[in-house]
Amino acid sequence: MIEARSITKVYNRGKFNETSAVVDVSLKIKDKTVVALTGPSGCGKTTMLSMLSLILTPSSGEILYDNDSVLRSSDFWKTIFRRNNFGFVFQHINLLPQYTALENVLLPIYSSDEDPARYKERAMSMLDKLGITDRAGHLVEQLSGGEQQRVAFVRALIKDPKYIFADEPTVFVDEETSRIIYRTLTQLRDMGKTIVISTHDPELMKIADDTFRMCKGKLA
Amino acid sequence: MLKKHRNVFSYSFDCLKRYRMRTAAIIIAFLVATTMISAVLFAKDGLEREAAFSVSVSPDLTVQYLKAGRVAPIPVAYAENLSSVEGVDRVLLRTWGYVGIGTNTYTVIGLDPSGLNCSGIATNSLESGRFLNANDSGTGNVVIGQLIAGILDVTAGDDMILLSESVDAMRFHIVGVFSDESSIYTADMMVMTLADANEFFKMDEGMVTDLCVYVDDGLVPQDVAAKMSSMPNVRILDQDLLIRGYKAAYAAKGGIFTTLWTIILVAVALIAFSQAIVVGHESKFEVGLLKTFGFSTLDVIEVRLIESLTLGFFATSLGMLLGFVYAAIFNAPGLVNILLGWAFLPSEFRLPVVISFESVFSIYAVTIIPLLISTVVPAWLNAITDPELAMRRAAT
Repeated sequence: MIEARSITKVYNRGKFNETSAVVDVSLKIKDKTVVALTGPSGCGKTTMLSMLSLILTPSSGEILYDNDSVLRSSDFWKTIFRRNNFGFVFQHINLLPQYTALENVLLPIYSSDEDPARYKERAMSMLDKLGITDRAGHLVEQLSGGEQQRVAFVRALIKDPKYIFADEPTVFVDEETSRIIYRTLTQLRDMGKTIVISTHDPELMKIADDTFRMCKGKLA
Repeated sequence: MLKKHRNVFSYSFDCLKRYRMRTAAIIIAFLVATTMISAVLFAKDGLEREAAFSVSVSPDLTVQYLKAGRVAPIPVAYAENLSSVEGVDRVLLRTWGYVGIGTNTYTVIGLDPSGLNCSGIATNSLESGRFLNANDSGTGNVVIGQLIAGILDVTAGDDMILLSESVDAMRFHIVGVFSDESSIYTADMMVMTLADANEFFKMDEGMVTDLCVYVDDGLVPQDVAAKMSSMPNVRILDQDLLIRGYKAAYAAKGGIFTTLWTIILVAVALIAFSQAIVVGHESKFEVGLLKTFGFSTLDVIEVRLIESLTLGFFATSLGMLLGFVYAAIFNAPGLVNILLGWAFLPSEFRLPVVISFESVFSIYAVTIIPLLISTVVPAWLNAITDPELAMRRAAT
């Protein structure tokens, strides 16, 4: 279970442009559920998702995984925890442009003790399921936005993570890709993954077991 | 664990291939900088070796006569006076001067036949022929430097004509040619016997240009020189003074060295700047993404370290090779005149080039260390930032 206790994130604290992105938010996400964070743009969904996925440190509050507080753990510990448990899908896709689709998919393997070559077959199979196996050898810039997001999905799933964090995964993609993403997330939910999505896509909200609506950095 | 390092290595080498522009920019900047600095340093090492050789074959003390405060021929009788000074082993006569052939000027040295074996430039530095001996006195036999042999296209066994001050043509027979072991010292040198030199320079009877003093083993030449200071109208040069002279002769180098070091530092600063500004956003984003996917701060530093070391060693090593070729094979065009400073050497003179451990080490140090700092430190700073912030900052 993931639990956030009174977490707050203030950007540029003490400066003229100080911004409170998330204010005193508490929530619980049960294992093997899909949770949607919703709300208008700028309400703090992405910040909340980033804090829950330990890629952004809250200004205050606590985050617990399976009842263990993790915020005070070292940066190294959090890195290893992310490496072993998390899969990420970003709103802006965030693929490395100089790499091919397949190489981007294999990127998380480079931080592990495993041979990236051993994951090629799995990667190709997953790319195939998302209908882009023929694009595996193409550079990112040669892929459409929808294809890039599908590659990003495969990258998030390549190590079969326990938790998947997806930030607005359907916002910049075509209908077909959106349908593939719904289907994939549904399958992942059925497989027992814990999925946290920030979205304003009503279709995505439908697959969520719980929905947290945010407004101006707080839970509405 | 080992496999992970192998993956990190693999990722780093991939980066070098993929970020071609960044890789090429660093390699080109380093090639230019290290080629120049290498050429200068290797030539400096060569000149220092030559200067050391020149001093090693010099007498412990050189005594000259001063007339009206200027150097003038010294009476041979002074040799006897000097010989009686405590600590003096022997005193040899020497007459030397310059001769012009075409547009070039060469050094003519006449050595005392009784002390030819004292000359450190004797047989072991000959490329061909033989050195002079006592029987050569007055025969017109000479040993010449390799540079002269090359320019005049002569070798041991040939004759050559020199014009004296009074425009008398004198024939000399070449019995030996110096090797380039002692290039800067002997390159433009013609060694003949004292009698021939005195005749060539039309020295007055009983006069030579200077006296070469060798002190007893174990004595400090300066101490012996101090005992000669009471002699009137003499100037005593010791080897330290010669070394200072050589340094002065090539002192113009100092300026150019400073300039080149500055160029290097500016180049390195520019590289650092480009790293920080031009590719900074790309790098921040990459580091943020790597951290998100489980690369630790140490992994990120390792990636940049491997990249920088690979690039730095490759570019610096290639630069050194090019610098050596530029100096040793192409004779450092555009640089040679500055390096040789005041030395009157024909353009045919080959710059002495020596690769010393100190120079190689310092070239690696001034190039790789700044590169490491300019790449690893920003990577470390990005890596200790929250990955989300690193990626967000890269996007703004």
